[in-house]
Amino acid sequence: MSLERVVITGLGAVSALGIGADANFSRALAGSSGIDFLTLPPPRQLPTYVAAQIKFPLPDLVKKTELPLFDRVGLLAWIAASEALQQSGLSGQTDQAALLESSGVFWGTGMGGAQTMETGYVDLFVEGKERVRPMSIVANMNNAAAAQIGMRAGFGGTVNTYSSACVSSAQAIGEAFRHIRHGYAERVLAGGAEALLTYGVVSAWDAMRVLASTNTAHPERSCLPFSRNRNGLVLGEAGAAIMLESLSSAQARGATILAELAGYGASNDATHITKPNPAGQTRAMHAALADAGLPYTGIDYINAHAAGTPAGDQAEAESILEVFGNRTQAPLVSSTKSMHGHTLGAAGALEFVLTIQALRHQSVPPTAFLDDPDPGFDLDFVPLEARTNQKIRAAMSNSFAFGGSNAALIVKEFVQ
Amino acid sequence: MTSFPAVAKLLAERLDINIDTIQPDTRLESLGADSLTVIELIFDLEDEFDIKVGDERPDLVVVQDIADQIDRYLSQKAAQE
Repeated sequence: MSLERVVITGLGAVSALGIGADANFSRALAGSSGIDFLTLPPPRQLPTYVAAQIKFPLPDLVKKTELPLFDRVGLLAWIAASEALQQSGLSGQTDQAALLESSGVFWGTGMGGAQTMETGYVDLFVEGKERVRPMSIVANMNNAAAAQIGMRAGFGGTVNTYSSACVSSAQAIGEAFRHIRHGYAERVLAGGAEALLTYGVVSAWDAMRVLASTNTAHPERSCLPFSRNRNGLVLGEAGAAIMLESLSSAQARGATILAELAGYGASNDATHITKPNPAGQTRAMHAALADAGLPYTGIDYINAHAAGTPAGDQAEAESILEVFGNRTQAPLVSSTKSMHGHTLGAAGALEFVLTIQALRHQSVPPTAFLDDPDPGFDLDFVPLEARTNQKIRAAMSNSFAFGGSNAALIVKEFVQ
Repeated sequence: MTSFPAVAKLLAERLDINIDTIQPDTRLESLGADSLTVIELIFDLEDEFDIKVGDERPDLVVVQDIADQIDRYLSQKAAQE
């Protein structure tokens, strides 16, 4: 059986950079950061923390009557998913029975409805209440976002949730790619969402000593991937979605094809619960290249996982150099986390949305605020300014997680 | 006393509909109120009237059925005070 080619027909994103895939890309290209002081409901304020928090009102896409069923993570998920669905042209006009039969949702999230859970605990343990909101379970469960997307899109095929920390949505996209390629579905709405900026969750991350120290004069400059001065990650919230389709499905309905998803590689470090292992990361990148049938010289841009932690960025620079050779041979590498923060379960999808747009616009977003690159890494990290008018034939997006899971996705120009 | 006005008010808010469309004999189903809506509504009514309906699960078909259930708890509460 021949394998189906898988193409991308829609994108969606919401993050601290804004609403919409285009708005997110424009702001990333401009090197403009969405990071600022974290604002939490009083009295539990953490005034010295920064985050890539969505501080603008969310679009009103869910009926008021249905809001009790939604954690913030579900709202972010549906905002991104509905944008991708709309761009693909699948919403509304298409044969609904066919959609029901052969369409799925593969979605990633690290902590699902973390805010709902925390609100329930505060009610019980702090406020002394004897009960929690009745919809706490259906709003909190990790598959709530995927289920809501499936219902709203009318997709009745396989609906899966991937929860592997920071690679959750990269895995969701990669596994969706395989799902279509092997003929299990014609189309999958894939992506991820995360909304865990709560007092409890942020405190837990802080306790691990992995959060970046705040640049108090310029909070937006607090996340410094690949910098000599990097000292941690900045948490963020986001939703991001990609409409994947078999080439035959997209062509049959005359859809606009944005790009082709060419390869997916996955691996596990199998070494340490948090310390990243370059050998494991290398395996994922090699696997993705082999899957795409591309030599390493075929990749012109890598959107790095690089969250700004000392050990993480070091390991990734080493693994990229191992796979791609030295600075003159290796593709451009940038970390957009310098602007949208580490959105955990949404990170793989959000960064892949930006990677797809970099390919489409032949323009690479910068590693913002990188005025003092770590001299130990011999790579071009696209510091400070975007590179426009590039020749980008294919691009890779890396995602690496606590727990040791690694994923690399490759997108290339669609050529008939 | 009857809790019907409070039930109708909260139901209208929860379903985002005009309160005039809610009569005692209006079927919950016809308003678009499913079992989850009713559970949320009773949760809010418990707060509103400071009562505990607990795990009682009567068959609620029309709006007055909810008001009747709440009224029973209000009478019990009044008797205890």
